Amino acid sequence: MQDSMKVCTGNFGKHAQSIEAYKKLGGYSTISKSLFEMSQFEVIDRVQRAGLRGRGGAGFPTGMKWSFVPRNTGKPVYIVVNADEGEGGTYKDHFLLLEDPHRLIEGLIIAGWALGARTAYIYARGEFLPCIESVNKALNEAYAAGYLGENIMGTKFSFDIFVHRGAGAYICGEETALINSLEGQKGQPRLKPPFPAVAGAWASPTCVNNVETIMSLPWIFSHPVEEYTKMGTPRAHGTKVFCVSGDVKRPGLYEAPLGTPLMEMLTSEEYCQGIIGNLKGVIPGGSSCPPLLPEECENATLDYECMASLKTMFGSGAIIVFNDTHNAVDILDVLGHFYSHESCGQCTPCREGTGFAKRVLDSILRGEGHDGDIELLQGISAGFGGTTICPLSISLGGPLNVYTRKYRADFEEYIAKNPNHAEPRLRPTVRLGAYW
Amino acid sequence: MSHITGAIQDVANNILSYSKGPSPVEVLPSPADQFGHANPIQKQPTWGEIAPLLETAEVKARVADLLSRYPVAQGALLEVLWIAQDAIGWLPHEAIRWAADVCECSAPHAYGVSTFYTMYKHVPTGRFLLQFCHNISCHLRGAESMLEYARRVLDLKPGETTKDGLFTIVEVECLAACGNAPAMIVNDDFATNVENGELTLKPGECLTPERLDKILQWCRDRAAKYPKEPPREVLGGIVKGHGGHPGAPGATAKPQVSDYAPPCPVLGVNALVDENGATLTWKGAPEFTELTVEKNANGTWTEVGKPGVKDKQFVDPEGKIGDEYRMIAVSGTRTAKPSQVCKAKAAPPPPPEAPAAAPATAKKVG
Ligand SMILES: Cc1cc2nc3c(=O)[nH]c(=O)nc-3n(C[C@H](O)[C@H](O)[C@H](O)COP(=O)(O)O)c2cc1C
Ligand code: SF4
Ligand code: FES
Repeated sequence: MQDSMKVCTGNFGKHAQSIEAYKKLGGYSTISKSLFEMSQFEVIDRVQRAGLRGRGGAGFPTGMKWSFVPRNTGKPVYIVVNADEGEGGTYKDHFLLLEDPHRLIEGLIIAGWALGARTAYIYARGEFLPCIESVNKALNEAYAAGYLGENIMGTKFSFDIFVHRGAGAYICGEETALINSLEGQKGQPRLKPPFPAVAGAWASPTCVNNVETIMSLPWIFSHPVEEYTKMGTPRAHGTKVFCVSGDVKRPGLYEAPLGTPLMEMLTSEEYCQGIIGNLKGVIPGGSSCPPLLPEECENATLDYECMASLKTMFGSGAIIVFNDTHNAVDILDVLGHFYSHESCGQCTPCREGTGFAKRVLDSILRGEGHDGDIELLQGISAGFGGTTICPLSISLGGPLNVYTRKYRADFEEYIAKNPNHAEPRLRPTVRLGAYW
Repeated sequence: MSHITGAIQDVANNILSYSKGPSPVEVLPSPADQFGHANPIQKQPTWGEIAPLLETAEVKARVADLLSRYPVAQGALLEVLWIAQDAIGWLPHEAIRWAADVCECSAPHAYGVSTFYTMYKHVPTGRFLLQFCHNISCHLRGAESMLEYARRVLDLKPGETTKDGLFTIVEVECLAACGNAPAMIVNDDFATNVENGELTLKPGECLTPERLDKILQWCRDRAAKYPKEPPREVLGGIVKGHGGHPGAPGATAKPQVSDYAPPCPVLGVNALVDENGATLTWKGAPEFTELTVEKNANGTWTEVGKPGVKDKQFVDPEGKIGDEYRMIAVSGTRTAKPSQVCKAKAAPPPPPEAPAAAPATAKKVG
């Protein structure tokens, strides 16, 4: 893909971190009279016409999300950028923030104008200190250049951006947990409704958007809408930054139009240049998405609809590839460990179920599995549906269900290692110190 | 070894099973134990011991800056805890109490928050905290063997500190550097290699035993060069020029004025002509308090009607193909610029009559 058509990563490798360099590459061109002559309604309409969809995982249309934010309630409106990236396999926001912090600021000014926000927070996960440094430096430059602060460029519009550093909790990526964390509380998701758009941070209208979503805005506003809608599929316009990791020859971040064939991403020279070993499965959208078998990968395209038709999710665009040297029990055990570690503990099915599944998986992996464990795991998964506040439990539930079906032979092989596997399992047992 | 006794819920079957006596489910050390949240023997310094580290002019300036950013002081809690951890190296109880005071919340709340997040340390660790990712992508690329290697060369178990006080190893979840899998963080910096005396994280570069050796050597060199880790100014980073959050202590910012942007014009005006005249449709907006439809009559725009702000359409019975329409919206006291001019077009023919619904298939009996 040509750099000029890259919506988010066009400045990668061009040392665009300083404001001069960024402006030389065409940055801040949208923060001009033409933006300030637009009404809020027109800005949102333009995002809607471009068909931008949230890049944080759910793929909800951004313009529509913005249109839900009520106006003139007498309360301030907040924009919060979700940079709490923590889902296994996802690492785009990390490098987007490092390489191109000014683009985020530019996008935030556009979003701030559209929503009438006075204050925006960038919620960065605790490990992102290098990114926070990069963003703070950019913020300093943007304030000095007059893009932020009171009465920006002579208009009545005032806007401030702050970075808020989290402290290590994957669940804070969930938007209501993120808002709790921003308020200085434990990052536990809230029950919806009220939705954050109506009552979010400090009970005020709040819009939470992913880093990549916000960083798409400058390109959308500096190009005709048709150029954006031309890319991608009829129902998902534009490009996406894919994070490929696992058993491929050249893992990395690749921006490509939505609808790019999965196998092209994995094997073409431009992208990953091939798979190491024999393909066993591909996780298409981050660790919470059920995997695809090699035969399903053949005709899969990278967009929301195709992934939904294959009963998995497009998620955050994190493609994790594994070959046949890995076995599914091991992979699922890692996921079980992750989600039980990150469960916030509010809902019993999630808190207990994720830990239970992990202990069962641990025991299978140790050769202490029993017949019926596969059904047990699927049963745990069934217990998650609709019983928890946030979808974290289902993030393990989906994989529990699908791995045990698609890679059943792996599980049976491990269970057969237990000489007493035919005896019923009474309690999942675990060794002390299994966390290490 | 302690045991849980009592009821264990069998989630799969939703059957409560009661164990007789000690259950074989052994207590797991909680993940938080990595940083000693549950360590009862950790000696706690007194306030007098840590006060000199927290009552400095620099910390005061940072805290004041932070408090000006949030409408409620408690919002700054996470950042203030970071400041304390940065100054002391870990979070003793007194530091948490100090953070609670600063952020106007209760100490138990602050303690609860500090133990919720895994990056706050409740015991001192080595000077260099090596955080190895063991999540999925890193696992696939050999995180386990990397960790094994690190443990071997440092002779450590995760959670322990080397005798020279330099290194502590912990296993963490995805660090968002999966393209560099296996990945790790040294204190606050991602590191897969050392180049020109700096830790680097280059695209496609992953941790190998040789690179890990280089990183460990870098740490030792640094410890020899700087007896104490030089502070990073960015923690709680003061950005110059911001006005804070309107209403917060020390903030100069004023709330956003509601009329900062021009009023909304009507968007998406469309006019279709059929036998009833011209039917106009448009995109509604909650801001509209009054709408006017105008028609171009030989060069002058004349009003043809005022649809209600909740209406979805407006019919001009005299509308013909080729007529030009525009709409004008009023939001409160402000009149928006006219909408784009729209030429009336012929309505597309109604879709062909849908074939009669197939008769409902007879219900299966049985
Ligand atoms: C458990 C969980 C974790 C999440 N983690 C993230 C995350 O790390 N980054 C992110 O952008 N969105 C994350 N999300 C999605 C957010 O809740 C939210 O949908 C997103 O930030 C909306 O932004 P968007 O509309 O721009 O996609 C997570 C959701 C859940 C349920
Ligand atoms: S589902 Fe899990 S992570 Fe989500 S709110 Fe409930 S306990 Fe917390
Ligand atoms: S899985 Fe290790 S950094 Fe993401």
